[in-house]
Amino acid sequence: MTGLRFDTYDWNGGREAMLRFGPESGPIVIAALPLFEEANRTRQFTCTILRALADHGIGSILPDVPGSGESVVATIDAKLSDQRRAYRALKQRLGTRSYALSIRSGALLDTDADLAGRWHLAPQTGCDLLRDLERTRAAAGKSDRGDEYAGNRLSPEMLAELRDAVPREDGGRYRVVRLDTDPRAADATYAGAPLWRRSEPGNDIALAQQLAADISHWIASCEG
Amino acid sequence: MLVIFEGTSQVETTVRAVLADILGLSADRVATFTADTPLFGALPELDSMAVASVLTELEDRLGILIEDDEIDGEMLETFGALVQFAAGKALV
Repeated sequence: MTGLRFDTYDWNGGREAMLRFGPESGPIVIAALPLFEEANRTRQFTCTILRALADHGIGSILPDVPGSGESVVATIDAKLSDQRRAYRALKQRLGTRSYALSIRSGALLDTDADLAGRWHLAPQTGCDLLRDLERTRAAAGKSDRGDEYAGNRLSPEMLAELRDAVPREDGGRYRVVRLDTDPRAADATYAGAPLWRRSEPGNDIALAQQLAADISHWIASCEG
Repeated sequence: MLVIFEGTSQVETTVRAVLADILGLSADRVATFTADTPLFGALPELDSMAVASVLTELEDRLGILIEDDEIDGEMLETFGALVQFAAGKALV
């Protein structure tokens, strides 16, 4: 039972889909994709990391949050507070050995959950995400087209919640990993291209394996 | 021909790497870029969405801030123009 499985989880606003990889006992990793367009660009890469984690004997979950992926919640109705609540509800059914693997603005989703640790890849603040969205929208020449940002319609509530949202570094163990081209402070850096900014979705199997090894060692040190 | 200024080689290397990484171009291909190599309008990979990603990635790697009103067609016209623009931001 270590192959890919489809499952669901409930939160007080409904039911969302999730993928499970690897064993269901032992430490469990909850992966959070970046919000919006970057999710499409990193989904395959994230699944490669999670498969590699399963090879290290670590189980993981890749949930949809309300308004993402296969969610029945429309993007225009998505709220960061709901997404955090859904993440928290998922965590609560998993027990104490749960670790966040959050990529870019996915790091804004794990803030309210009681986790043993958080591992963030190139985490992004809500403010920086909004700047990216505005610039992409301006570049596409749609700055006067209301609530549409790079193909996603976003509510004023979502935009307001993002403005002050920052990744959480306290509460359990914390590790931040970046690409070696990123000059900001990190616990470790790895060589690779920022797939989240590529126009065409891509993958980097070598990097995914290195990151899975990093996560596996880190979890072992957290639990040791 | 545009002169790529002394002291900008680090910036030039960064611009080259960003174009390769964001547009998915091979290192060999971006290595052939000269100051005169046309970019916007000449590289099909560099559409308006990709322009936003390239500029934001340059900001992150060089620790610079590009205001939206500074973004115009001229700075993206050639590789040399983009390096010159980035160097002007990074080396002040």
